[in-house]
Amino acid sequence: MDMNKNITASYFILSENAYNEINRILEELALKTRADLIIFSDSNGYPITSQGNFPDLDTSVMASLAANNFSATAEMASLLGEAENFKYLFHEGEKFNIYISNVGYNYILSVIFKKEVAIGLIRIMANKAGEAIHELLNREQQEEQTSTELMDSEFSSLLDKELDKLLKI
Amino acid sequence: MTMFINWGSREINLKIVYYGPGLSGKTTNLQFIYNHLNPELRSQLVTLNTKEERTLYFDFMQMELGEIKGHTPRVSLYTVPGQVYYAFSRKIILRGVDGIVFVADSQKSRMVDNLDSLLDLENNLSEMGQSLKRIPWVIQYNKRDLPRIAPVEVLQSKLNFYGVPYFESIANRGMGVLSTLKSIIKMVLSDIHTLV
Repeated sequence: MDMNKNITASYFILSENAYNEINRILEELALKTRADLIIFSDSNGYPITSQGNFPDLDTSVMASLAANNFSATAEMASLLGEAENFKYLFHEGEKFNIYISNVGYNYILSVIFKKEVAIGLIRIMANKAGEAIHELLNREQQEEQTSTELMDSEFSSLLDKELDKLLKI
Repeated sequence: MTMFINWGSREINLKIVYYGPGLSGKTTNLQFIYNHLNPELRSQLVTLNTKEERTLYFDFMQMELGEIKGHTPRVSLYTVPGQVYYAFSRKIILRGVDGIVFVADSQKSRMVDNLDSLLDLENNLSEMGQSLKRIPWVIQYNKRDLPRIAPVEVLQSKLNFYGVPYFESIANRGMGVLSTLKSIIKMVLSDIHTLV
């Protein structure tokens, strides 16, 4: 197959330092807002990390639904002639609320909190956290990264083994 | 930006999308995979359906492979709604895709639908600056147990113009489902291997 090698921008490596820093920012956000669960994901729905605890909630499913929910509203925004997507989504439930906001163009912050917590506080704190993460990721993207350590020739054979184990016919 | 390698949590994240005309068996593929996997290694299967149980927005599940050199590949599987009028949903789901399984309906009467769907896929990819020429993808010729199906050679000559790997399947019995999935995951991961 004709595999064009020019699509080098098709992966992004998040360093361990940046990952830890994002966790620290989310931890602070959770502390200040008393949110139950905060999920930081990419706009494709991959849950990068989360803070807090919500029993029996599958964060990968939640992150996927939040990301696609956000993308759907982007289409609504474009139908209205908006130049950019809406900045946040807010869903109000009987016991819990969800506040979903964008972090730059590629990431999403979802905050799940009890009804008693003021939405104003969540908005301000989530936006502040979002900005801090955005700056951090911008710096991160500019740094040259390499993952040759991971993707050596041994990788393929180990992958084959794992796939055979998981998808045994 | 597509594939996300999380050095902190030691995860490599891949997004695979099942594409194809309405009722070709995309959801059936996911259901089989879901039932086959150890519950500890997969998420819930989320289906956003219409009242008639057709896919409205997407189906989604995530699965985890065992550790490879200290990293865990997590694979997100999505299906798109096949019907023509859900064009926007398909575009949204395709964002950030790393690999595609095109599920074709083998019945002779569906040949035009297969072609239309493939064309729609190529159009959507090109809007994202991607193309079927470059992205890893495979074809699955589904419903091989039905009468009045087109021979594989005919399907190949009409649909597989880039000569990508193909699989014959009967998705509702699981035949061909896992080999298709294995093949696309390998292609995607060997693609990043080439890139780095």
